[in-house]
Amino acid sequence: MQQLTLSVFQPGVLISLAVIGVGLALLLRWTLQGREVDRRVIFAFIFVSVATPVLFPITFEVKATPIAKALFEKIESLPEGTKVMISYDFDPAMAPEVLPMANAVVRHCFQKNHKLVFIAIWATGQSLLNQTLQQVVAVEFPEKQQGIDWCNLGYKAGNEGVMNVIVTNLKKMFPTDVNSTPLEQIEILEGIQSCRDFALIVSLGGGQPGPKEWILYVGDPGNVPIGAGTAAVSAPQLYAYYPKQLIGLLGGVKGAAEYEFELMQKYERFKSVDAPGIRMMGPQTLAHVVIIAFIMLGNVAYLRTRRKKGGAA
Amino acid sequence: MKPLLITVSLLSLMTAASFAQSDPPVEQPMATDSTMVASTPSITPPAPVSSLEAKDSPDDHGHSITLSWEPSADDGAGAATVTSYVIYHSTSPEGPFDSVGSAISGATTFTHSSAKESDAAGFLADYVDRYYRIDAVTADQTIRTPSSVVGPVQSSGQWYNDGRTPVAVAVAFFGLLSLFFLKRAKAGADLYVRPLGGIEAVDEAIGRATEMGKPILYVLGLGTASDISTIASFTILGRVAKRVAEYQTHLIVPCYDPIVMAVAQETVKAAYMDAGRPDDYKEDMVYFLTNSQFGYVGAVNGIMLRQLPATNVYMGKFYAESLLLAETGALAGSIQISGTDEVAQIPFFVVACDYTLIGEELYAASAYLGREPLLLGSLKAQDYAKAAVIICALLGALALNIAAASNATWGLTFKEFFKVTN
Amino acid sequence: MSRLAIIVTICVVVLFLGSWIFKALQAQDAGVDHYLLRGFLVTCSAFLTLAILSFLYKDNPIYKFAEHLYVGISAGYWMSQGFWSTIVGNLIPRLSQSLSGFFKQPYNAGEWMGGFFYTNWVFYVPVIFGVLLLMRLSSKYGWISRWALAFIVGTTAGLQFIRYMRSDFIEQISSTFVPLLVDWQGIGHFFSNLSLSATGQLVAMVSNWIIFLGVLCGLIYFFFSKEHTGLFGKASRFGIWILMVTFGASFGYTVMGRVSLLVGRITFLFRDWLGITS
Repeated sequence: MQQLTLSVFQPGVLISLAVIGVGLALLLRWTLQGREVDRRVIFAFIFVSVATPVLFPITFEVKATPIAKALFEKIESLPEGTKVMISYDFDPAMAPEVLPMANAVVRHCFQKNHKLVFIAIWATGQSLLNQTLQQVVAVEFPEKQQGIDWCNLGYKAGNEGVMNVIVTNLKKMFPTDVNSTPLEQIEILEGIQSCRDFALIVSLGGGQPGPKEWILYVGDPGNVPIGAGTAAVSAPQLYAYYPKQLIGLLGGVKGAAEYEFELMQKYERFKSVDAPGIRMMGPQTLAHVVIIAFIMLGNVAYLRTRRKKGGAA
Repeated sequence: MKPLLITVSLLSLMTAASFAQSDPPVEQPMATDSTMVASTPSITPPAPVSSLEAKDSPDDHGHSITLSWEPSADDGAGAATVTSYVIYHSTSPEGPFDSVGSAISGATTFTHSSAKESDAAGFLADYVDRYYRIDAVTADQTIRTPSSVVGPVQSSGQWYNDGRTPVAVAVAFFGLLSLFFLKRAKAGADLYVRPLGGIEAVDEAIGRATEMGKPILYVLGLGTASDISTIASFTILGRVAKRVAEYQTHLIVPCYDPIVMAVAQETVKAAYMDAGRPDDYKEDMVYFLTNSQFGYVGAVNGIMLRQLPATNVYMGKFYAESLLLAETGALAGSIQISGTDEVAQIPFFVVACDYTLIGEELYAASAYLGREPLLLGSLKAQDYAKAAVIICALLGALALNIAAASNATWGLTFKEFFKVTN
Repeated sequence: MSRLAIIVTICVVVLFLGSWIFKALQAQDAGVDHYLLRGFLVTCSAFLTLAILSFLYKDNPIYKFAEHLYVGISAGYWMSQGFWSTIVGNLIPRLSQSLSGFFKQPYNAGEWMGGFFYTNWVFYVPVIFGVLLLMRLSSKYGWISRWALAFIVGTTAGLQFIRYMRSDFIEQISSTFVPLLVDWQGIGHFFSNLSLSATGQLVAMVSNWIIFLGVLCGLIYFFFSKEHTGLFGKASRFGIWILMVTFGASFGYTVMGRVSLLVGRITFLFRDWLGITS
């Protein structure tokens, strides 16, 4: 990926704004004429306004909000070699939002030479975890060795039940790692008996069980700091736990982009890696512009009909 | 400064190298009691840690000892800066002492613990005398100073976890409150519940349906008959059915769960009896559709578009189908009233419906209409719990702020009451 | 089938067969091992994405096909996951040495408790409950499954109650004890530090007040034992405003999430399937 261009005058912005502008002007005209707009037109419009910036990529500067920065700073402040647990609690439906966060957090931890223990509370998390291991760890950090710098405990069925047990005893639920290596033989797990022995647990997910359950079953009773990356849908409900019970939160693609941007600011090497969060923020922003415009158009139409009715009465 | 450091590290490297043949790797300190005093006499070993204490870890299931100490005077300063502390353990004051872990410089606590299974790695049996010693170690692992040995100390489990007292108090308070109000409700006490706007909206909507000569659609959601929101929904269904019977409008109740369907049939039948029109009740008012989430949505949406009900009522447990249902209903031009305790779905109902019972309002509406002791009692108990929360929050904020303004510490003491540890 | 439907079906089949061949050739050039399979998988994902999106135009048989495929596959996936992770992963290693060997799972003998008893025997309880649950399939003995359900409901309720009491009740109460006059150092100091940045004193103070009043008024809105009139009514009114703002935020976040999914799909179609962006 090329260096980030952060000006508003990127070709992508101009082309997309032109496309969107024409569409909105047409819709406004129809609205003022009082024409009923078919839903399919709206769908097609949204599709086009998202597709244009995908074809002509746009990147914006994404300033981190305090809540996202808090997680970044926490990982930044941990001393080298700290043991961090990362839990993959999401499925492919959430992957476009959550996987970029997961990759960014893993990159950051490895850059800081932390030791990572991966687990999955969702069955589908396992295969997404493998994507991170193959596409990020194996490519960008080939020097990191399994068993010494990271280990993968894999998926365990039981949802909250698993968390309830591993907060006091990790081995009871995970006697072996994903390759059937007994935990005693894994160097990185030396001295780890339960989740309480990690300096930080990052839960990535948005459903149930997810970050909330990690707080309820592990963070609070075990006194372990919990950080979370979550799908946008469940982000508002997690805000209530910040900052006491949740040290930081990445919400939706915006959160991912914020984290990626912080990484790029801090470490030169990450300026050249793919940053899907930042890449997606372009189409995302334009789609939001369109939706805001729709809300305004809708209100114009509503006021029109109300005035008409009022006039008739 | 720099040349001196380099010389020192070179010297220590050389000494380390000369010992390398006979010594085990330096990362794993020898499992002996030998106090490895500085092998280069030119460097003063660091000061030892002071006030070392070993205690049984509080509020746990045993198998754990917590050590605490004051850091070495050379922690973070001096030529022989302490980079880590290595913790040694033995079951006899004379040793031999084994290394059980290490802590980074600056640390002042360490927990020596094991899993409770006797075959666990490094198992720590309860009620055994243990002795501890901590070495302050410099970057050169051979330069270290041991502390004095502390002990004996025994680990043991506790029956009661002091740190969780606030939870116990809250559970007891809420539990007793619930029992008390349940008992009062069962005894038929007159417990006041304020009227809710949503209920009046239901009545109005039924009136409108009658005027238009169109049916009313009642959706109980995807919950099972044991979900509290479905139970609340049955009561509201009873009320709606009674009004429908009085106005002689038509009612449609498509169901997702067969048991829910059976209960709903009974509810509607009873409501028609109540209204004095048992003959108007038809079995096919309440029927089973399918047990597949989106299949159910598709079918209900079909009913909305074909039969064009004047009013749609959604009460109960809803998931992703909430918006699909409410949006179709809005398109069909029906008046819509909804209520659910699924927080994530409320926003969708709010935008697409004319009136929404938010969260507990659903229970309150049901308790108000049905006066069912279980619902009424728990609603009252919740009300009093909320009052307690409001009072605590007010007192807490007041205490904290007055104390902060007058630099007193007692404001923080109040906060301590709510502190759950462990 | 109408003539139009036949023509559409043929076009779709030809298009995606072409895509399979093309993607396979592309993968072969790139030196991928299973290039036929890779080509098929990419084409298949693209087909299913478009099939689901076609619902936005109109309900159609291609959409129905994709939907049923999804339902069927996910049901099968969860069933096999359930078997391999719960029965093979959690249960068998604790109950049978020979079966653990057969499934290549490390056997976990548990602890001997004296006499005939081993700690692992407690795992027969879930086995029995599991069998009871399966009684649902019988119309005559279906009621037995309620015993297992009662156990599940009871234990989860108990477990959740304590956790919620702690994390969502007690911890949240003490979270509302916020300093309402943040580091109050006199009015002059306050005005000289006026700033709208998130670290500014004004913002910190305003947000603390919102948290404090929001919690109080939100609770008052859900207080049913008193008529909402007078000051109480005003507080409840403010409470519902706060609630509505929350719902709005939640709705906005949801829209953002849905758009992200669309961006993800469009990126897949354009980059991985059509290859028109890098």
